[in-house]
Amino acid sequence: MTGLLRSTWYTLDRLIRAFVRTPFWIVIYLIQPLIWLLLFTQIFKSITVLPGFSTSSYVQFFAPGLIVTLAVFNSNFSGFQILSDINFGVLEKMLVTPVNRYGLIVGSLLYVAVTGIAQIVIVLGVSFLLGASVVTGVGGVLLTFVIVSLLAMGITGLLTALALRVKKPEPLVFVSSLITLPLIFLSSALIPASLTPDWVQTVMRFNPVNYAILAVRPLFLTGYDWTAIAQALIVCGALALVAIAVATVAVRRFGD
Amino acid sequence: MKQIVETRNLTKVYNGKIRAVDNVSIDIGEGEIFGLLGPNGAGKTTMIRMLVTLTRPTSGSVLVAGSDVVKEARKVREIIGYSSQEAGVDEQATGRGYLTLFGHFYGLDGQTIRRRVDEVLALLELTDAADRLTGTYSGGMRKRLEIATALINKPKLLVLDEPTLGLDIQTRARIWDHIRALNSDGMSILLTTHYLEEADKLCDRVAIIDYGRIVVMGTPNALKGEIHGDVVSLTLPPEEPDQWEKTFEKVRQLLADQPLVREIQPTNDGLNVYVDQRGAAVPLILHVVEDAGVVIEDLSLSRASLDDVFIKYTGRTMREERGQALGARKTWFGG
Repeated sequence: MTGLLRSTWYTLDRLIRAFVRTPFWIVIYLIQPLIWLLLFTQIFKSITVLPGFSTSSYVQFFAPGLIVTLAVFNSNFSGFQILSDINFGVLEKMLVTPVNRYGLIVGSLLYVAVTGIAQIVIVLGVSFLLGASVVTGVGGVLLTFVIVSLLAMGITGLLTALALRVKKPEPLVFVSSLITLPLIFLSSALIPASLTPDWVQTVMRFNPVNYAILAVRPLFLTGYDWTAIAQALIVCGALALVAIAVATVAVRRFGD
Repeated sequence: MKQIVETRNLTKVYNGKIRAVDNVSIDIGEGEIFGLLGPNGAGKTTMIRMLVTLTRPTSGSVLVAGSDVVKEARKVREIIGYSSQEAGVDEQATGRGYLTLFGHFYGLDGQTIRRRVDEVLALLELTDAADRLTGTYSGGMRKRLEIATALINKPKLLVLDEPTLGLDIQTRARIWDHIRALNSDGMSILLTTHYLEEADKLCDRVAIIDYGRIVVMGTPNALKGEIHGDVVSLTLPPEEPDQWEKTFEKVRQLLADQPLVREIQPTNDGLNVYVDQRGAAVPLILHVVEDAGVVIEDLSLSRASLDDVFIKYTGRTMREERGQALGARKTWFGG
């Protein structure tokens, strides 16, 4: 257990140090949610007049959707993170040490969660300035962190497993550009489910992104929806656990 | 002598048919510097990777200090250090940060890590650059940092895959000094190389590996001793392959009866004649060959080296690219 905690912590520590050392990344990470928030709230300003929108402000509706969308995009991107360790021979060096293999994976997924939470904080801050609010307060914000982090860890973990298997960027680019938009559009992140065709609503039931947004949006707009929260925790939690298991198997077999 | 490495019938097959390592059984004693020498693609790296627990053998076994690399991988990892061919360093970390990370991965406590990091930095002359990002390091510095990370746990066995690949001569000599110093402190060292000089100068024992098999093993001097004396290398002009074979046979027959000539071996572009007294042998060879009407494109003279050992056992020179060598072998032996 100490081996697991230690490996997890130092993997996370290493990645955060590298991130903090690269001001370019920090700027990109901070600016990205701001640009999205600005674009979406401006472009879709009048969408709330459509029937089916329960709130009058798109910011209010869209802030939770933006948070989940950002998590999906960035976790798709984070699947590439391990490729530089593979290319530079750093991963192999680590695998020759007794470092706990779960720790290597969990640490790098927690890094995705931590940077994701930093982005959520920014979106929340700006949304508040634009007049949005979180009706459930701090509790709702913390639950949002947990659900979105599990989702991001799940997606990143599966792509990390793929990266460990193929060891080059091209297949990852292909897969991640194939899944990113469907994951978002086949959820109610950007538009209420009731405004979409029946088949889309059916597909949504198999999309973990949709479970996350169904739990998070009420936290902002109406209050705790415990059924949705439980479903989101189970679906996203299971996704994260499966991803950790698959990625750990992939890292163990990396050299074969 | 206790063994630090014992392999038994070690085999790695890729894709069900490529036998990268084929039935290798070697023992490496504690305190030895042991070299795996062979051309690119001979199976050296695959063998090393199985030893350091990165790749699982298809069959056969490896014990490192008595522990099985598959069943007791964790125990093996604790007592080995591994420096890979590519010099794997994290460009976003400082040298000190990177070494510290490895200290944590070995489960050392903070105080031990600080001490060991300082020690290995000093040993590999990286103290001044310790707090710079490794992205600013030169190739030689990266290689030394790579070796330093392999030393952080005071390994019993240090495994170095091509430790001086692509480095300039001075840097290479310095790395040799580092390796010798570590060895004189009792560390067992296994290295791969395709530099003959490196194997010759540095290693207590050498195994020559080709197509995944050990072709011969022994001390560099004993191996070179099998060759005797000097080598006269003759380059024959390129012609049609069947023509070439005839020419080679003709020259071989002409020289085989000469008392000064001990052995004749084909090479990729001619043949090597191993002789006792080079002063007398060279004019003799030239005379005999010229009388027979064979044109020689080039002639050179050298002391027997490990390359000649390689030629003796494989029928081709190690310096050539594998594809060419294969072609040459087919030419000479009609295969």
